[in-house]
Formats: sequence, structure tokens, C-alpha cells
Amino acid sequence: MSLNTRQNLKYAGLKFIELIATLFVVSFLTFAAFSIIPGDTAQIMLGPNASPEQVARLRTELGLDQPLPVRYITWVAGAFTGNLGDSSSFKVPVISLIAQRLPVTLGMSILALIMVIAVSYPLSVFSARRPGRIGDTICSILGHVLFAIPPFVLSLLLIVLASGVLHIFTMGKYAPPEKGFGNYIASLALPAFAIALPKIAMTFKFMRSAIIEQNASEYVKTERSHGLSEARIFLRHVLPNSNVSSITIITLVLSDILGGSLIVEQVFNLPGLGRLLLTAIDRRDFPLMSGMIFYLALITVILYFVSDILASIADPRIRLK
Amino acid sequence: MPRHTHIVKVHHLSLAFPTRHDPNPEPVLKDIDFGIRDGEILGLIGNSGSGKTMTAMAIAGLLPEGAVITEGSIKFAGEDLTAMKPRRRRQMLGSNIGVIFQEPSTALDPLMKIGTNLDEILLTHGMKDKAERRKRVLEMLGTCGFADPEEIYSRYPHQLSGGQRQRVLIAGAALLEPRLLICDEPTSSLDTVTTIQILNLLKEICHKMHMTVLFISHDLSAVRNFCDRVMVMRGGEIVDRDTTQEMLLHPRSGYTAELLTNARLDTRMLGLERATVDYSASPVLVARDITARYDNSSSNVLKGASLEIYPREMLGLIGSSGCGKTTLVKTLLGLMPHGGSITCSDKQTGAVFQDPVSCLNPAHTIEWHLLEPLRAAGIKLTKEERRKRVASALQDVGMSPEYLSRKPRQLSGGQRQRIAIAMSLILEPSLIVADEPFSSLDSSSASEILKLLTDINRERGTSFLLITHNIHIVRQICPRVIVMDKGSVCEEGLTSEVLSDPKSDAARKLLHAESVLHGENYSE
Repeated sequence: MSLNTRQNLKYAGLKFIELIATLFVVSFLTFAAFSIIPGDTAQIMLGPNASPEQVARLRTELGLDQPLPVRYITWVAGAFTGNLGDSSSFKVPVISLIAQRLPVTLGMSILALIMVIAVSYPLSVFSARRPGRIGDTICSILGHVLFAIPPFVLSLLLIVLASGVLHIFTMGKYAPPEKGFGNYIASLALPAFAIALPKIAMTFKFMRSAIIEQNASEYVKTERSHGLSEARIFLRHVLPNSNVSSITIITLVLSDILGGSLIVEQVFNLPGLGRLLLTAIDRRDFPLMSGMIFYLALITVILYFVSDILASIADPRIRLK
Repeated sequence: MPRHTHIVKVHHLSLAFPTRHDPNPEPVLKDIDFGIRDGEILGLIGNSGSGKTMTAMAIAGLLPEGAVITEGSIKFAGEDLTAMKPRRRRQMLGSNIGVIFQEPSTALDPLMKIGTNLDEILLTHGMKDKAERRKRVLEMLGTCGFADPEEIYSRYPHQLSGGQRQRVLIAGAALLEPRLLICDEPTSSLDTVTTIQILNLLKEICHKMHMTVLFISHDLSAVRNFCDRVMVMRGGEIVDRDTTQEMLLHPRSGYTAELLTNARLDTRMLGLERATVDYSASPVLVARDITARYDNSSSNVLKGASLEIYPREMLGLIGSSGCGKTTLVKTLLGLMPHGGSITCSDKQTGAVFQDPVSCLNPAHTIEWHLLEPLRAAGIKLTKEERRKRVASALQDVGMSPEYLSRKPRQLSGGQRQRIAIAMSLILEPSLIVADEPFSSLDSSSASEILKLLTDINRERGTSFLLITHNIHIVRQICPRVIVMDKGSVCEEGLTSEVLSDPKSDAARKLLHAESVLHGENYSE
């Protein structure tokens, strides 16, 4: 095994340990937060008219009478095996609620990410190749404008445009994937676009300056002096080096997209995780809230883990740090 | 191909950067006319901004965007480069003209293995057979002094030292045995020992491959050591040209003479006086068995270094790159965790670093910078006291109070270094650690800063630890010197004794490099 491969594996191992440690901290904080918040799940589930005996019985059933450390261990074990108990307001397992809503949010996020990459990448390459030219200037100004508009305003504008003027979109109509993949994508395309637009602007700005910076670096001069063609220098040297920073940016964008989708779902009236979370907060549904927060945190932490590994593959210098 | 006495002929070349607003600007190169003879090593010297690099890049065809050749032509082996199609011009690079740049640390793609990088050159120039390419690259790495080419082939640039990277760059430039090799300041970011190695390597390769060299440098000792003929440039014009011997011994233009004097950093001409040191007094700083390591490394950078600095002393510290000088400075200033003990008679130790540009915050005024140490030390003063203190600090470094409201970018390199010195003086420390304070300055600013430091030492009695790679300076102003090698102090003693009769290998190596570079024996 070569030195470089060994370093790769060592780095990945360290990052994995970090991932597990972070998950434990997250689980502890989530659990602690919901233990401190006033309000008794059993009381909330039974309503204000329940007798103290009924409440006590339910507390025993839910395990709420156990000491905190025992409840924490039970909860963590549950969280990692997918058993988070029942939602107090929907009266069904938390995990099935999340599973039911996930396709909306996940599909929308992935769609938005694809849009971000598919649009911002070629645009930034085009702009950075000729900085200061008219094409670059138009892209940059457009980028600034899109960057400045908040997603919910953009969503409203898009709704007015797509359903009011162009009649190509129906508000609040969601088609689940099992009823045809094409319809599923079509029903999510506009909200995904609303999330993606400002992120396209952001990614474009970062990628553009990354490419311009790499273009000006010393090694490009060296490669030119070796007689390499501009196209080859760009594809083999400038682009891979720009990608190192774009991995970090895409990760940030993706976690932003997940956060942004919670709001956009609301505007587009889609039955996703964002609406579920708001409902849970509204009804003081602690099991549902803690379960969702834990899983959202889990997704984010895994996202950062994957990003770190990708970055270390793209840049050999990272493994040594 | 017919033989030409001149491989390159630059014919009345003028170059400018015209813009839409100014279609006829002042040219950057004015009527340059010279030839490079087949097989010679031609040196090109001059201060920064004199047009040396622009001349070389015009020949290489690597001019920055916007540069336009307004007049004249460049012929390479009889072919007119300025009239050549871009594609053909590009093919010339690498195969007929090789280029080596100044900064080996950034001149290699950090994501690409050395082997892949060099392989690409051969591929670009049409060598299809993969095994043959690999063989050629390994052969070239061997020629460039790598004992284990296979090992280097699979390394990344960050796993190599500065000298090794420069060797790789030389290997890349010479891979296709070009007829002309352009070296743009190839040694100026290297230490003396490495400089000698690189120059020797260049000499050897040029001889072996019959390459002609255009050698650009502001380092006259490298030019003296390496070049057959020298041209001096100033303000875009060639002001002097001669054989190296003649040029250095009998400069014809006044400008060349000035350049030579400055380059020598002649301390005798500055009228420097040393402070008298009392070695029986108790030291201002005692460091014992300092060990230190960086997070990512498994071995210690410092392996038990010990030293003491006496009141009023200007202690010199020399050693080649990587010997641990800078790490030692960090531990002495308390910027790095370390083993061993450091006792200092004074709470405050001043520090002056190599690069005055990155040491100052571009967003703040000079006054803010001068007050910063006071703020950091928690010293509360009235407005009036503060004003007095910063004004006198500025005066101490020979600058007038009008600079207080300026920003760092409005100052020259030498002035910035003065501000850095004023910052270190403002708390009136008994010791100032100066880490290569001259090396990023041009020679005339460097001699002024040198004079300033000795004045401070003599008039205020401030002790100095002066880290430098310039042994000549140490000889002139440091009564005592310590030599570092591989993380510990390998020799110390009176400068006159250490430099005339070095006991350690490291000191002998440094002195040898110095004497080869300067072509004279310093043991007076």
C-alpha cells in the first residue's frame, strides 16, 4: 500500500470517528433541550381534562417516569434503530411520518442541487474565461440581484408568473413518486427552482472567483511555459483546483437548500418535512420534534462527512493537516 | 538546421500596455536590441521594474495580457517569433524554449503528482508511448540530482522542499532539451546552500544538453558565479553590457556601479558602530534544551536548542533553511508550545519579521499599529501621552509624524519595516528578535534598516537576536554568532573565530556556499 493510500484511509478513519462523536453530541443536545422545555408529553397527549391517574399511567407507558439517563439511552438506541416512538398528536410512529414526508423535501432538495450545479458551473466557466467582458458583466449583475432577493419573495413571484400568467403550474398539487416519476418531478420543479435561484447566484459568484484566482496562479504560468494548450491547462489544472473550493461551497449550498426548503414548502403549500416540523411545534409534539431535529442534524453531519472525504480526495494536502 | 552565432536576436524591441483611454502609453521596454550567442549564459540584472522579466517573457511568448509589441522583432534561430502563428509559437515552448520561474513553492500544480505533471509535457509534445515517457521522466529526474526518481515520481509538490521543487521545475523545463533556457530569478527564494546546488545543477545540465541560457537575477553573486556575459537594465532600457568579469570589476555606467555597491550591503561604508557587550552581566534571555514540533509531524523540529543573549548584545543566528531558526523564534516569542525552559529578564520581547507587507493590517493607520502593542499589553494612557509616545516611536525609526495617519499601502517596503521596528520598540523591550528583517527588501532599503538596528542597539542598549542568511552582515555587526543545524545549536562563539575556523559541518557548509557565491574568501 502506498504512502498516499495509507494517508487517505487514515484521514477517512479520523473523520469517521469525528462523525460518530458529533452525532453523540447532537443527540445529547437534542435530548437535553427537550427535557428542559416545560410541558409534559403525557399531559399534552391526553388533553387538559385528563385525570392525574390517567396521566401517570401514560407516563409509565411512555417511559417518562424513568430517570433521565435511562430515558436518554433508550432514546438514543431508538434514534439509531429508527424507533423514535409515537407522535403525540398524530398517534402514529414518528419514523413513518418522516418517511411519508421525506420524498417531498428530499426530491425538492436534490432537484434544486442539480439545478444549481447544472446552471452555475457552465456559467462560471463562461464568465471566468473572459472576466470583464460584456457576458461576464451581465452574469455578475444578474447574480447580485438573485442573491439579494429572499427565497420566499422569489417563490411568490414565481407562483404568480407560473400559475397566474403562464398557467403551467398548479399551486399545492403534489404528485407522489409512486404515481409516476414524471409527474412527481413536475410537481416539485417550480419550488425547487425557487430554492435554487439564489443558490445558483451564490455558487456562480464563488466558482467564478475561484476559477479567476486559479487562472492567475503561478503554476498556470509554468504549464504555459511547457507548451500546453489553454484548453488542456483549464481542464487538467485550473478546473480541478477550483473544484477543491467548490466542494465546500456545494456542501454549504446543500445544507442551505435543506433549510430553505422548509420555508418554500410553506409558500408552495407542499406536504414536506418543513410543514411537518411546523405542525409539530404548533401542537407541542415533543417526540416528533426531537425525532425530526435529530434526523435533520444526522443528514447535515453526514453531508459534511461526505464533503470532507470528497475534499480529501480532490486535494492531497488536506490529508496531512 | 543552420548554425547561427546568435540563437536569439532581439531587434529594436519596444513593448507597451495600450488601453482604450491611452492608446500610446509610455513603453515598458524601449528599443531593446541584443543577441544571445549560441551556448552562452547571458545574465540580465537590474532593479525590480526595470523590464528584465518583460524582456524574457517577450522572448518566451508568455507576455501578460494586454502587452503589445509596438516595434521591432525577435528572431529565434532565424525564425521571426513575433510573426509566428499562436499555435506554432506555443509548440516552441517546452521543446525549443524552456522557462524556470522564481517561486518554486507555487509554480507546481498542487493537486498533481510530479510524475503526472512531467509526463504531460512529453504527451503534449507528441510522445505517444507511455512507457517511453515514464522512462524519459525518470531519467531526467535522475539527471536533476534525485537519488530516487521513482519516489519523487509519485510525490505531490507539498511533499517536497523548496530546493527539490526547483529541481523538478528544472527537470520540466529541460525535459525536451530546449536550445534556450530562460531562468527568471530561479534562486532568489532559496537559501545560500540550496542556491549553490541549483546553480551547479543548471551549469551541469546546460553543458550536457548544450543549452543557451538567459539568466535573470537581482542577485549579483549568482550572476557572477554563473554567467559569461551580463546586461544591465534600467527603466526598460539596456544601460550596460559586458563580460561578467569586466562588468563587475570595471562597471562602465554609474548606475551599474551603484547597483554593485548596494548589492554588497557594505557595512563599512555605512559607518556602523557596535555596542560594547558585558559578557559577565546576567543574560536578558536564557533558553535551555528547547524542543518543539508541529502538529502534523511525528519528529521534533527543535531538538534541544540552547542559547543565551546578553544585555546590549547583537547575537547572530545562522543556518540553512529548515534548520529550525524560525521555529526557535516562535518558541522564544511564546508563539508555540515547547519543551525545555526559557527565562527572560523582561516581560516584553519585541519582534521584527521578514515580510513587512503581511505584518501590517491594511485596514488601519500607522498610528493604530503603533498603539497596538500598548493595547495588547493593557497599558492605559491619556490621549496626550499616547500621541507623544507614538510620535517619539516614529522619530526613533527616522520617520516624521506626518506618517501617523497613513495606511500601510502608502508606504514603501523599507518604511513598512521601519514601522514594524517602531512597533517592537514602543514597549521598550530589552530584547528584539529580528527574523530575516532584510531579505524582502531591496539592497538600499536593507542597508538603511541595518543601520537603524545597529543605532538602536548602540543608543538604547537593546539586545538583538538577528536571524539572517547573510553571513556578511553577521560578520560586520554581530560580535557573537550561533549556528543551527537540524534543530539544535551546533556551534557558537565569537564571530571572528567561528567564521574563520568553523568546527561544525553545518558552519563549514554555509561558509563554503557563501565564499563560492561571492567569489572571495572572507577570512580576513
